[in-house]
Amino acid sequence: MKAWRDPVALLAVPASLYLLLLYALPLLWLLAKSFTGAEGLTLKPYIEFFSDPFNWRVVWNTLSVALWVTLVCLVVGYPAAFALARAGAALQIAMLVAIILPLSVGVVVKAFAWQIVLQRNGMVSQLLVATGVWDEPQRLLFTPPGLVLGAANIFLPFMILPIYSVVKLIDPRLLEAGATLGAAPVYRFVKIMLPLTLPGVVSGLAFVFSMAVSMYVIPSLLIGDRFQTLSTLTGRSFLFMRNEQLGSTTAVILLALAVSVVVSSSWLARRLGSRA
Amino acid sequence: MSFLEVSGAEKSFGAALVLGGVDLAVAQGEFVSLLGPSGCGKTTLLRIVAGLLAVDRGTVALDGRNITGLPPHKRDVGVVFQNYALFPHLTVAENVAFGLKAHRRSAGETKDAVKRFLDLVHLSDFADRSVRALSGGQQQRVAVARALAVRPKLLLLDEPFSALDRKLRETMQIELRRLLRELGTTSVFVTHDQDEALTMSDRIAVMNRGAIEQLDTPEAIYRRPATPFALEFVGLSTRLAGTSLGTDDGIVLVETALGRLRAPGSFVKGAPVLLAVRPERIKIGAAENTANARLRDAVFQGSKVQLHFEVRDGDQLMVETSDLPQVPAPGSEMTLGWSSADTLLYPAP
Amino acid sequence: MTPVERLGRGIMWSAAIVTVVFLMTPLVVTVAASFGSSSVFSLPPPAWSMRWYERLANTRGLWPALLVSVEVAAFATIVALGLGTLCAIALVRGRFPGREGVATFLVSPLMLPGLVVGIAMLQGFKAAGLREAYTSLLVAHVIITLPYVVRTVLGALSLFDFSLIDAARTLGCSYPTAILRVLVPALGPAFLTSGMFAFLASMDNYPISIFFTDGWTKTLPIQMLQYVEENPDPTIAAISTGLVLLAVLVLVVGDRLVGLRKLADF
Repeated sequence: MKAWRDPVALLAVPASLYLLLLYALPLLWLLAKSFTGAEGLTLKPYIEFFSDPFNWRVVWNTLSVALWVTLVCLVVGYPAAFALARAGAALQIAMLVAIILPLSVGVVVKAFAWQIVLQRNGMVSQLLVATGVWDEPQRLLFTPPGLVLGAANIFLPFMILPIYSVVKLIDPRLLEAGATLGAAPVYRFVKIMLPLTLPGVVSGLAFVFSMAVSMYVIPSLLIGDRFQTLSTLTGRSFLFMRNEQLGSTTAVILLALAVSVVVSSSWLARRLGSRA
Repeated sequence: MSFLEVSGAEKSFGAALVLGGVDLAVAQGEFVSLLGPSGCGKTTLLRIVAGLLAVDRGTVALDGRNITGLPPHKRDVGVVFQNYALFPHLTVAENVAFGLKAHRRSAGETKDAVKRFLDLVHLSDFADRSVRALSGGQQQRVAVARALAVRPKLLLLDEPFSALDRKLRETMQIELRRLLRELGTTSVFVTHDQDEALTMSDRIAVMNRGAIEQLDTPEAIYRRPATPFALEFVGLSTRLAGTSLGTDDGIVLVETALGRLRAPGSFVKGAPVLLAVRPERIKIGAAENTANARLRDAVFQGSKVQLHFEVRDGDQLMVETSDLPQVPAPGSEMTLGWSSADTLLYPAP
Repeated sequence: MTPVERLGRGIMWSAAIVTVVFLMTPLVVTVAASFGSSSVFSLPPPAWSMRWYERLANTRGLWPALLVSVEVAAFATIVALGLGTLCAIALVRGRFPGREGVATFLVSPLMLPGLVVGIAMLQGFKAAGLREAYTSLLVAHVIITLPYVVRTVLGALSLFDFSLIDAARTLGCSYPTAILRVLVPALGPAFLTSGMFAFLASMDNYPISIFFTDGWTKTLPIQMLQYVEENPDPTIAAISTGLVLLAVLVLVVGDRLVGLRKLADF
């Protein structure tokens, strides 16, 4: 057990202790409290929560919005990550600025901007009318598609960057090797590029999905109270309804969702990593 | 018409002309090396043949078919890449099977071919390993097996030995050469290593600045380099600047710092020339061409001794010999000689 | 190039352009709205004006909130840089079991829902008798900033060749001088990027801060959200433009010191 006496290890103590006392302990306490009723261990709050159809609606809202956001980010972000890795200097700089700059600007600022963009006479509406998709301007603000668009915008960098970091490490000669072995372009993409970028895709999906599940400010500004998600319900029950029991229950469900996403994605990444 | 025929291949990158109208003909079953320094265009030529790069002008024909415009996957040309380019997400066997599956060969045929080619490169025991767990030499053999498994009409090898240490490299060269001969695979091999080219090739194309300076057997290239560049790039030599004193019966008399020397050739009186001789052709003792020199340095190299001599005006003379009873001490004066037939003569560059 | 390859390239470059336009949209819209004369947001605005900037000076609660945010972010970043660096050194150089677990634990606040972490801390702090909003904010924001520092400094340290310190010592440096001359410059970019992103994360945080505010102590995002909900006029756009400007500044400094590509390392 001499390993324990390595004095360098002591340098980790302050930070670990800080987090343990002020972060891990409160979380565990929250978890424990949500399973304790007046007469000891209980699942009652959860049974009550899930017996209310309104709450099912909330869970469904949360997951469907998160899935749509993740899908939009994947569809735009996957090819964009390739473009970022292959772009010439000028476009690459433009893309990097467009990705990093919004990351450094607060969520409140961006969500507020989307309030403007999603208005009846906002840019998206005008664009859709101009391209003939819509006959007349419509308001996207306070609708689920508007929320998905705004949230996808805010989380897109978290899809592009992990995929980009994988793509830029892929040897371009692998595709050439595939070609000289007789593989046509689509076959090369499916059999070489896709499996090799999968670890990046998994971590991008995990980032975006878990952030979309737990986002609070964005739905508050872009969709309002009529459309509740687990996160907004949690916030409301603590901040306005003073219903700590409900808040703790939804908080623990959120936590379980987030932890399962993190755990399963890192398991998947490790599995893919041992193959790739 | 030859099996592989490249005619007038020209390629520029921006303003830089990398390949200036190269012709190359390779017979079926032949092993031809493209030998030259980096930037000479050898890899560009290889990529053009593979279809990984489009020519600006010129044509590539393989087995009587013009393949100039074909994409690489329709060419039947295999490539062993410098860094092997093995698919890191696939096992050894899956790497070898990749091309067969891309060609939609039947499962049975694929399995048999994978087994056969893994046997040929002695990697049957590694079939299910990840390619990342292999040593450099093993990876190289997987790359060879993968390229050969689809039985391409032509195999291109881009410096496949450069990442291996010297000992392994020599073993692999012999092994690969034997394998390709057994299979009768036509091969074009790119290298900057003259020893590699000399050991493995049926013919060598010495390339310089986007052109082939000489295309001949290894022996001919060594004994009779066509240009000063080929002379300098392949093997060691002593080179002396001189002036022709005139030609008589196919023998030129050249005035050099070592005195008057004789060489086969034909130059008018007064023409500036470059005279050269290979180190193992020079013997101790007078001969047709004779020079007196002072030994500056003797380098013992095992099977032979390399002697560096100094002559007047700082000119140097290099001799390699394997029949000295003992390494002579630096500083001694010696008389050296070689026959005029062993003397190479070029117009001064 | 075959038609399929051309199609693939088309998709790729369109995605690139869509990405740039899409991502820049909110920033451009914010800046444009802040210079519009009308209090209704229409783009392009009917006329340009600076009136919303003139209003900033007497916007109630704005400057105190900004001050609180900057103070909290600065404190949390400095504490996190100290604690996080020590911890990263222990994780890279120390020989003790469970190092990977400790690393994951220290970065985990990044991955959990902020709201849940905020609620847990609120209840924990209450139970521990800490009720003062400002102190709670200071303590809580270290949890926000620490993961950024640990993650980045850990990455930089594990790439650092510690034999360089030995080399410096054989060249006549004492151990502390060697650390100062070799290790600190090598870690400089990591300090800088992690410090910047930690600072911005703290400045931007809403879901944790919301539980530690009272009538007097509000952070900037909370004050701004309140404006948006109560009285949405382009004053918010003007504040936002200031924050965009700050982000541009951070980006320029980051690019100068470590390079854009490095900033995108994930």
